[in-house]
Amino acid sequence: MSGNSDVAATGVGKNALAALLAHQGEGSIPEAMRYDALARYEELPVRGGLRGGRTWKHDLTNLDLSTIVAFDPAGTELDLETLSPDARRAGVTIERFSIARERHRDAFERAFGHAVDTRDDKFASLALAFASRGVFIDVPAGVIVDEPLVVGYEARETALFPYTLVALGEGARATVVERLAGVDSSPLVCGLVEMVLAARAQLTYAVDQRLSMKTRTIITRRATLGEGAQVDVSFAELGGMHVVSRFRALASGRGSRASVVALFFSDGNQHVDIETETVHAAADTRSETIVRSAGTDRGQGRYLGNIKILEGAHGADASLRDDALLLSEHAHIDSVPALEIAANDVKAFHGATVGAISEEEIFYAQSRGITRVDAERMIALGFFEPAVARFPLGELRDEIRTALENKIAPKTVLHSV
Amino acid sequence: MSERGLRISGLTASVEGTEILKGIDLVVPPGSVQALMGPNGSGKSTLAFSIAGHPSYTVGGGSVTVDGEEMIGVAPDKRAKAGLFLSFQYPAAIPGVSVANFIRTARQAVKPDDLTPSKFRAMIFEKLDVLDMDAAFLSRYVNDGFSGGEKKRLEMLQLAMLAPKYAILDETDSGLDVDALKAVGASVNALRQSDAGKDIGFLIITHYPRILQYITADAVHIMMDGRVVKSGGPELANVIEREGYDKIREEVAASVG
Repeated sequence: MSGNSDVAATGVGKNALAALLAHQGEGSIPEAMRYDALARYEELPVRGGLRGGRTWKHDLTNLDLSTIVAFDPAGTELDLETLSPDARRAGVTIERFSIARERHRDAFERAFGHAVDTRDDKFASLALAFASRGVFIDVPAGVIVDEPLVVGYEARETALFPYTLVALGEGARATVVERLAGVDSSPLVCGLVEMVLAARAQLTYAVDQRLSMKTRTIITRRATLGEGAQVDVSFAELGGMHVVSRFRALASGRGSRASVVALFFSDGNQHVDIETETVHAAADTRSETIVRSAGTDRGQGRYLGNIKILEGAHGADASLRDDALLLSEHAHIDSVPALEIAANDVKAFHGATVGAISEEEIFYAQSRGITRVDAERMIALGFFEPAVARFPLGELRDEIRTALENKIAPKTVLHSV
Repeated sequence: MSERGLRISGLTASVEGTEILKGIDLVVPPGSVQALMGPNGSGKSTLAFSIAGHPSYTVGGGSVTVDGEEMIGVAPDKRAKAGLFLSFQYPAAIPGVSVANFIRTARQAVKPDDLTPSKFRAMIFEKLDVLDMDAAFLSRYVNDGFSGGEKKRLEMLQLAMLAPKYAILDETDSGLDVDALKAVGASVNALRQSDAGKDIGFLIITHYPRILQYITADAVHIMMDGRVVKSGGPELANVIEREGYDKIREEVAASVG
């Protein structure tokens, strides 16, 4: 029946992939690569799992994707910033994968798959198999882009599989803002982001995730750094029902640097898992990780922070600071920072705290006439500020502050003395 | 108007079950400077916190009124709105909240909508100048990583910006070098000479008399073991300076015995 071709198969099996390919053709990602990825997704176990006997409200081990619709035949849920004429003249590209692969084939193929290795990664494999909204950003060597390059993904009733590929040539500089938003009925956003930085390139990459509180999202982001390159990534994971946000920076070039900032605020029944890993694979590499999280209502969260300093990474300098604030006795945040060091003469620091708002801070503010509720809001917002201040663009910072404030506003707050 | 003043009468208070204040009577008339001196552990800071309404201090009896309005049982922010101000000996740090934002929020809370943003700015710069502070101070986080002197200067900046009816300065001089102490004195004196500050009544709590070289007291009260044991003129501070607290302790013991 010809009508059946319009009805997409549900779930994320071979039929669904066949339906996706029938609709959009091979496109930018070879069919065989997709089927291989799907096979890996089906075979690989869910990593991590539960620790310490705690049962989490949401966990990937009990994820059921059998009823989701894996692609939207009408799909236009992609919003790309129009480049300024200056940027275009300088050779900057921001295009959908299908167009990028035709017009910028060499640059695309040099970067594609360079930062992400899906071979032993279940959900990165799933994202690759079904990738249907791809964006390629390419900044040629020596080009400095002043305007922020904004990639906005809008999740609809079907699952969304976005793929963002960012390539910066030698000495290139750019700021990319990834925005994720969507409707309540969007079931799943499963994506990949690759950042490939040539020598001395500088990339600022910010994520503003404001998906519906009913959406699950699993996104894997990876960066590779050439000699003297620098990546500054910042993640605001404020939406989503169950969020799994994973980032790894591979500092493979001598003297390269990574700065990683992440914040989340679990409220309602939200569960946010953030994993960051910085791998120091060359001498004189530096990294700094700052994570701020809060939980209120029955919100849950986990932060897994890993710093690896490989053999030969002499003079590496790494720091990781992770602080969590609990605003309700039913909220729970786990924090697991870890260091693996296999080189000598390196500097590494990590520290983590989990606590409630201090009664002394509240009294101090109250003694100035500020009501208890306002004092609590002010202190909780202030708690996030060292992370918020690291995001690019004043407008984005203000939006994040407002989103945080809205989560705090009417809630009851837990105190410590 | 007989009730005007910060009036403390028969105030008792305890901390974790131990009674520290054993019946305090003290009046701070508007526009006056009352010094409260006493050795460590005499209950001076407990008095300051009890007046301000710190939740860890339990008031057993007595009253604290601000121009006739009872403060006991009232939330700390409402006491501030009634006109009370406490300069903390150890002010809390509030990371992530800038000095400017904090003071603007506090001013808006105690004196809503009485200053345009530009007048607020002009006022805060003027006060900073008196305290010999840099404008960069305003964008730092409240007391976060501040030196002892910077913390006390910030307390004085808030005092000047909030212009309360009654101000309690709890050991504002402790740990200050001479320059910082002079700046504190200059700030208080400038405030007392201004229209907004001329009626402020001060209760200056101190262990050592040296702050009184910069701020002249109208009266000096001596506190020991949770009671005010002696009151007198400014010369009483000089007696303490010369002879310490022991002589007064003996006197009190003799009069009781």
